[in-house]
Amino acid sequence: MEQTNASVTRTPLDSVAVKRKSKSRSYRQSYRSCLGVASRLGLTPARRLTTNRKAPESHNITVNPEHLALLVKNEWQLAYVTPLHQFRHTQLRSYARHLSAFVVAEKQQGLAVEVSGLQNGFKASMTVVQGMSEADDDPETVLIQIHSKPLFSRPDDPQKLVWSGWLTCINGNPEYLHSLPKDFTCLPLFVYKGAENLSSLVKSWVQRTFDCCFGPLELSQTSLQWLAALWTNCHAESNIQHLRMLWTLPSAPPLQVTYAVDPHDVWELWGSVRKGSWGDGAGEARWIDLEEVASFMQSLKSHFYRHFKLDLSAGILNQVSTALGSARFNGRIKISNSAYVITTLTLLTECALLKMPI
Amino acid sequence: MAASLNSSESDRSSLGGQSASSRSNNRSLRVAEKERRRNEAEDPFVLALKYFSVVEAGTPVVGNDDFENNLVLVERTAYSQGLSPEAISIMLEFAMSLRMGTAPCARVLKCLIPASVVPQEAVVRAAVWLSVGKIPISTQVLFIKWVLTVFDMIDAKDQLRAIYGFIFSFVTEENLCPFICHLLYLLTQKESVRVYRVRKLLELQSKLGRQPFLLHLLSLYKVFCPELVTLSIPSRMRGAFRNHVSPWKAALTAVQKRNGSLAGSSVSPALAVRDKSGSRKRKHCHLQLPALTSVASDGARSEQTSSRTLVPLAHLQSFDQLLKNVHRIELPAQMGSLLGSSVALQYLDCIQDESALLRLNFWLGCALHEEFLFCGDGATQTSEALQFLSRLLSAQHFLQEGFSSSDAFLYKFLNVWDGSLLRPQILCLLSNIPVIPSSQIRKLLFEPLTQLFFTSSLFFKCGLVECLNNMLLKWLTWHSVYALEDDLDISLNSHTSLNITLSGFKDSVMELIHFVGHLASVGLQLEGCHALLLSFVLDFYETVCDTFLKFGLPLVVMPPAGVFYPAFFATDPVSVDRLAHIMHRYKVNLTSAKRQEKQKEAFHISRQTFQEFNHCVVFMVNCLWNSRMFYPGSDVQPGEELLLGSGVPRYWASFDFIHHPAFVSYALDFHQKCWPSRKEMDLSSIKDSKPWSWYLDYLFSQGFDGLKDFLKSNISRQAAAVDEQQR
Repeated sequence: MEQTNASVTRTPLDSVAVKRKSKSRSYRQSYRSCLGVASRLGLTPARRLTTNRKAPESHNITVNPEHLALLVKNEWQLAYVTPLHQFRHTQLRSYARHLSAFVVAEKQQGLAVEVSGLQNGFKASMTVVQGMSEADDDPETVLIQIHSKPLFSRPDDPQKLVWSGWLTCINGNPEYLHSLPKDFTCLPLFVYKGAENLSSLVKSWVQRTFDCCFGPLELSQTSLQWLAALWTNCHAESNIQHLRMLWTLPSAPPLQVTYAVDPHDVWELWGSVRKGSWGDGAGEARWIDLEEVASFMQSLKSHFYRHFKLDLSAGILNQVSTALGSARFNGRIKISNSAYVITTLTLLTECALLKMPI
Repeated sequence: MAASLNSSESDRSSLGGQSASSRSNNRSLRVAEKERRRNEAEDPFVLALKYFSVVEAGTPVVGNDDFENNLVLVERTAYSQGLSPEAISIMLEFAMSLRMGTAPCARVLKCLIPASVVPQEAVVRAAVWLSVGKIPISTQVLFIKWVLTVFDMIDAKDQLRAIYGFIFSFVTEENLCPFICHLLYLLTQKESVRVYRVRKLLELQSKLGRQPFLLHLLSLYKVFCPELVTLSIPSRMRGAFRNHVSPWKAALTAVQKRNGSLAGSSVSPALAVRDKSGSRKRKHCHLQLPALTSVASDGARSEQTSSRTLVPLAHLQSFDQLLKNVHRIELPAQMGSLLGSSVALQYLDCIQDESALLRLNFWLGCALHEEFLFCGDGATQTSEALQFLSRLLSAQHFLQEGFSSSDAFLYKFLNVWDGSLLRPQILCLLSNIPVIPSSQIRKLLFEPLTQLFFTSSLFFKCGLVECLNNMLLKWLTWHSVYALEDDLDISLNSHTSLNITLSGFKDSVMELIHFVGHLASVGLQLEGCHALLLSFVLDFYETVCDTFLKFGLPLVVMPPAGVFYPAFFATDPVSVDRLAHIMHRYKVNLTSAKRQEKQKEAFHISRQTFQEFNHCVVFMVNCLWNSRMFYPGSDVQPGEELLLGSGVPRYWASFDFIHHPAFVSYALDFHQKCWPSRKEMDLSSIKDSKPWSWYLDYLFSQGFDGLKDFLKSNISRQAAAVDEQQR
């Protein structure tokens, strides 16, 4: 077994020349069936969410306040994107021109549109969001916005923002990012809001231009529980006001349970399940373990059972919300406090990377 | 007549060549030539053509009998045989120069039916007349229509392409525009797509509205330069240019049929109109293949590619075109689109660019994951999924290997599969999985498959065994191909990505064979040794027994007892015969392996394998031939009292060739044929030396070749004779 593992190595790409092979017999499989990246990822057992992560710290991220305000005040839909091929951060202006022309052409079926011309209906813009990246390997976040003029507006009316979306990667798994060839840019998390048809137009343009695929990003039970715990953990620095959870129990008819907990109580509960040196701010306490999250949720459930004789473990956690933000099972999220944007986006990036097919 | 003119022309040119080389050549030829010229001079058709080439400008048409007669002559020739290239040139020049005014122009154009080809120069000259003379618009349209109709017969297109800009300038002529657009569509190349032309067409679009001809030309521009123009063609606007004139077409085909040559039909543009039928109903349409579109080249990228002109794959329509351009093909914007076209698949076979294949794999993996793994509502539309998977399978079949993303998908999907959803397709995909290192094969493959196997119906079991047999066959074939290549000792190293050593490969194959052996033993027991399952298991062992001789893999693995005995005790003669065949092949493989082992220490086959083999053979011979079912050292040794208690008479002989349940009917049949007069059936009389060999011949004549080979290789008749005497 050891031997086989050792023999599974990649040969350098540049050795194209016809050369004599070493005497030891070895087999080759063509690229198609055994890509370097693919085979390694494909053969490893299913990837899982990390079991422990850093406790959220309030970041003073140096992002354009306008962008930050846009990010914070809205509710967003989540999606994942496979790595973009031949994406250049330096070409954003020309991409925006293409996107505008594409949107206009699709809106007016059967009418050709010049790419470099000025579109009067829709105007797309793409910008790099400086500072919205955490690790060195993370590619810079890209913000896509579409402005439009209402049909019956005066010529001097300002254009209205009708759609916006972010392509981002915060603390992406460096191993995965490094395994990709150079001409791929991995911005796995796509966060957007706006009219449904515009969303699908933007998606299909990005798909065609960078040969990638989109898929919806739902939040699993574990992710929602993580968010509940991470947000609760911030209470000392910023008041969460409440922890509200929405459960659906599989009874007939289905039972919706809204479970809101007082911030002080939940903070104390969280403190009691935290292991290690609690509260002294030492390095140990900065990490949160999945076990702690699980026992936190278990305590919440058993408390509920004691009062209402209903076991929430049988149900599905649909939504988690605090003053810092809210997240829904179907992949809608709202981040209300800019200080914890990075923590939340790190978790979401991880979820998006888990969805990558290879 | 046109034909005669043709031949004389070519004769003349060849004569000219000859006279240059050998002037003193015989006079008789020259005399004959003179003769012919005189004949030609009298040929009225040639005279008619001469008339049109020299007729002076301003000659009146009305009441001109010469003109009328000559034109009728030309027309008659045209409709019966078609016009030669020279005749076309002369008549076209006559018509377009308006030497006799505009009146005969249309009439001449209508009869321009080419016999073979249309000279390009003539068309170019005529096009130039378009801007010089005062040709009425209707005649101009007629001319362009004529060019479109005979476009495929124009002998070359380079000069026409050279005056692309000139032709383009007519686009502003409102009446000509649809036809000019069609002509431009046929002539457009990447170089001809320019910003100012795009702007001009867009300007026209804003003036004329959504015209199909403009859109189709622009969509071709988009194929070449997606960075300049973008558009989406609505599905109802399917029809391409409809500018052919049917009388011309009919006359042309009639002439061509008569001349026995049928040129290719005129180029009708095939447009990639997105097929939206059905897809609109679905929320997620991951299973739709992307359309073949070209990459929008921008800034950095266009600099790289400007050195050599690239041909977008979307523009290639045949394998010939692919071959001609194979060195300068530009990959499409979306790699997934390659699966949709057969020409593109041919190209995919020679792509070695890792990024390109990674793009394809991302798309494919995403489609499979979204459709079969992530879809929460489980509303998989089977017909669409079926179509998608069959397309994927046919691509894999064509390339003779799987895609890594579909493998990665299967490893996950097997854990959630119910074993019935799209079973044939999934099993077929599964059989394309490449060799898995033996350290991982259990986790990835065997664990989920074991669960599926033991919880599914008989038909699934059969399907799975067949699938694993195919997988083994593909692995072995792959081995034999690369083992062969290793002997040549050179290879294009660029293909290398994953290496497996020979011993690693052998381990994997062995694991697979043992796994199937285990499944088969338990499966046969569960299903009461069902003949169908047994047949699939024997198929598998037919592959296994020949690994050394057929595929050059030094590995021999014997079937487990759980397979061997059910096959031997089967009630149908076919299974027993196939088992005998398999044992025979094992013997041939083992003996040849042993011989090679002596020559060079290539590999070593363990003693245990030989022991297992001998054990099986001895058992079979003892049962079938010697009527000694129970002998010391055999697997089956029940107590004496038990056998007596069973009340079976002559139990030791119940599985010989006569009493074996699979053969007893043959024995009865033989008995009747051999001794038709006998009233009493006495099967043991077949045991006598003479009837015994007749009986065997009778069995072999029934097609039991496996038994025949088995007996031939394991029993020498002499020994058998001695044996017989002992009894």
